[in-house]
Amino acid sequence: MSSLLLALPSKGRLHEQMNKFFDSAGLKLSRSGGKRTYSGFIEGIERIEILYLSASEISNELLKGNIHMGITGIDLIEEGRTPASKKVVLLSKLGFGKANVVIAVPNSWIDVESIKDLSEVASEFRSYNNRRMRVATKFTNITRNFFSKNGISNYRLVDSAGATEGSPSAGTSEIIVDITETGQTIEANNLKILKDGTMLRSESCIFSTVDEIWDHIDLKPVEKFLRIVSARSEAMDKAELSFDYTKESSELEISLYRKFKAIFVKGTPDLGDSVSLIAPLSELTSCSLYLTKMGYGPVRTSQPNFIYNRDSISWNILRESIKRA
Amino acid sequence: MINETNKIIDSLGGTGVLAKLLGVNLSAVSNYRKKGFPARLHYKIASLCNEKGISINEKIFGNISRISLPIDSRPIEVLSETSINIMENLVSEEFELIDPPVLVSADKVLDRLGENIADRLYIFSDPAGTRLCLRPDLTIPTCIHYLNNGFNGEKKNYAYHGKVFQFHSPTSSEPNEFSQAGLESIGGDSSLDTEIEIFYRTYNSLKKAGIKELNISMGDISLFSVLIDILDIPVIWKDQLKTKFWNDKNFKLLLDDLSIKKKFDNKLFYKISDLDQEMAEIFVRDTIGLSENQSPVGRSIKEITERLMKKSQEINTEPLSKNTSDLIRDFLSISDNPSDAIKKLKSISKNIDSKLDTKIDNVSERIDKISSLKIDLKNSIFSLEKGRTVEYYTGFLFDYNCPVLGDKANIGGGGRYDDLIKSVSSNLDVPAVGAALNLERVEKVIAMENSL
Repeated sequence: MSSLLLALPSKGRLHEQMNKFFDSAGLKLSRSGGKRTYSGFIEGIERIEILYLSASEISNELLKGNIHMGITGIDLIEEGRTPASKKVVLLSKLGFGKANVVIAVPNSWIDVESIKDLSEVASEFRSYNNRRMRVATKFTNITRNFFSKNGISNYRLVDSAGATEGSPSAGTSEIIVDITETGQTIEANNLKILKDGTMLRSESCIFSTVDEIWDHIDLKPVEKFLRIVSARSEAMDKAELSFDYTKESSELEISLYRKFKAIFVKGTPDLGDSVSLIAPLSELTSCSLYLTKMGYGPVRTSQPNFIYNRDSISWNILRESIKRA
Repeated sequence: MINETNKIIDSLGGTGVLAKLLGVNLSAVSNYRKKGFPARLHYKIASLCNEKGISINEKIFGNISRISLPIDSRPIEVLSETSINIMENLVSEEFELIDPPVLVSADKVLDRLGENIADRLYIFSDPAGTRLCLRPDLTIPTCIHYLNNGFNGEKKNYAYHGKVFQFHSPTSSEPNEFSQAGLESIGGDSSLDTEIEIFYRTYNSLKKAGIKELNISMGDISLFSVLIDILDIPVIWKDQLKTKFWNDKNFKLLLDDLSIKKKFDNKLFYKISDLDQEMAEIFVRDTIGLSENQSPVGRSIKEITERLMKKSQEINTEPLSKNTSDLIRDFLSISDNPSDAIKKLKSISKNIDSKLDTKIDNVSERIDKISSLKIDLKNSIFSLEKGRTVEYYTGFLFDYNCPVLGDKANIGGGGRYDDLIKSVSSNLDVPAVGAALNLERVEKVIAMENSL
């Protein structure tokens, strides 16, 4: 049996956030033969060999089928995909590196608010200027696919390696497609994001290549690793609420789900049960207040470190996709 | 050898006449007498001799059917007999053989063809940082050749032959490089007769190369734009219909969308509705917050204002009537044998507008002329949808299809693209008509037909 290759981001913020994630999941990363080497392993999990690469290299290697698994951004995978690429599947979102790929136009384009507007302007632009509207971006594939789906054809891409948001005012493009966390840099450059102009919501994820490279891999350690990772990532944006079910209500279960996407851990409770509820972290307060308003309480809240499901979704995805390959 | 050369020059009418025929100086022809014909003229002279019925000693050009097309100083390519055959029929006194550039500006090509073709192009940067691509066809390079030679409207007729490069997915059976031969007529009056000439010459070359079964599918993109022009609908809808025309799915969505009453979120569309152009421009300038000598990023005040005004018109317009959208749909659904298609066109369009009638008469005249050339149109199709998937042609267009090839029956085609020179040169309004043949497919057809 050979080792599985798992590539992790080697530098920058992504590297730090990834380290934090592994720490919080109780997974200890060790470098083979000293701090400065670019390979390593996870303590306590055998046969997973770690390679440290840049996020874009990780995406390329996955798409070429050279590594089994890797942590990189959705944006890089989508951008790197070509007709010749291997199939790459998303196993688990990791909750960091969140950013959106958006379309932004100059603030002075007061007649443009939506993609539909942009599509009209693009064709008018061509008749006014006898050339196509230029879109500066480093996301050429994502842009082409998105524009073609939305019926925008009168445009031309201009490669932009860095400082994309500066190109309209520099006169090298009319509009941009760029990745942004908060939109601040875009605003600072007198550009506005179209209201339906979010082309892709990206974040860091564990991906795997579906290919014959899995043929001689011992899957036991992979299963263990993926169960831990997905239990951790599942728990990250979740809260646990507990209270005593002192009053019967047939509507409670359904309205908690509808309003807050909150789920009873043990299913429909019986009167007098001590119940536990899992809800998105962002709904914690409103969900608690709702329960007290409905006459339940005290509501105790906590944040779980891990949620281990019997079926780990990540592991299932991997198992099913390599079976098919 | 030299004796032979002299004999040929004399038989063709002497130094002066040949110089004129070839478009070269007298001294050049005198040189040929001493040194023999340069390789690049072999074809032309061979075909001149052919026309005048002068039999030439095979030795003079080597064996002409074995010789390759002489292309300037580059290494000689070896052409198949079929390609030579085709070229012999395409190159003539009227159509000068040229060698257009292989490397062309990637930006020009993308600006012309659109980003949808970008994943088919071989794009790279040269050491100076210029973005180039290997030519994906020979039409754009031919236009560049025309412009590089300083022409800006004169009529030039060209014939060409060469490799073109289009990337296909590794799983596809399509080759990434293949050979094209073709004709272009750029500039001049570029009339209906020019279209017929290009059509007939390419058709003839295929027939003479030995293709037996050849179906023609035809169309005329300008029919659609004339129809839209005469409809009583807002200008902005006309622009949209013409833009979305190139994608059937988006076109249908647009027709549905125009047929319902819409709400507009942008308050400016309402605010601008009572203003005249000048006041509107001032209003736009103020709204953006620009002083008088500042201009907005990317588009002019005029562009922004005019669009806002068009949108404000749209607000007060009733949705597209069912009659109109049905008319557009019925119009586009016509696809039939050419003479039946014309009949249908006439019956749908009668009494709408004389401009449309004139256009249809034009198309009808073209088809009559083609039939009068003894071209069998029995299995041919005239379709109003023809050319919709490639945003390229502006008028007449045609394809040659060989049933023996099955699904991918297309072996070439062409048509009118009057905006091509403009998009490559960015200011010249010069008409152009042309056609190109895929030589590998032509060869395949001949081989397959012969093995039947």
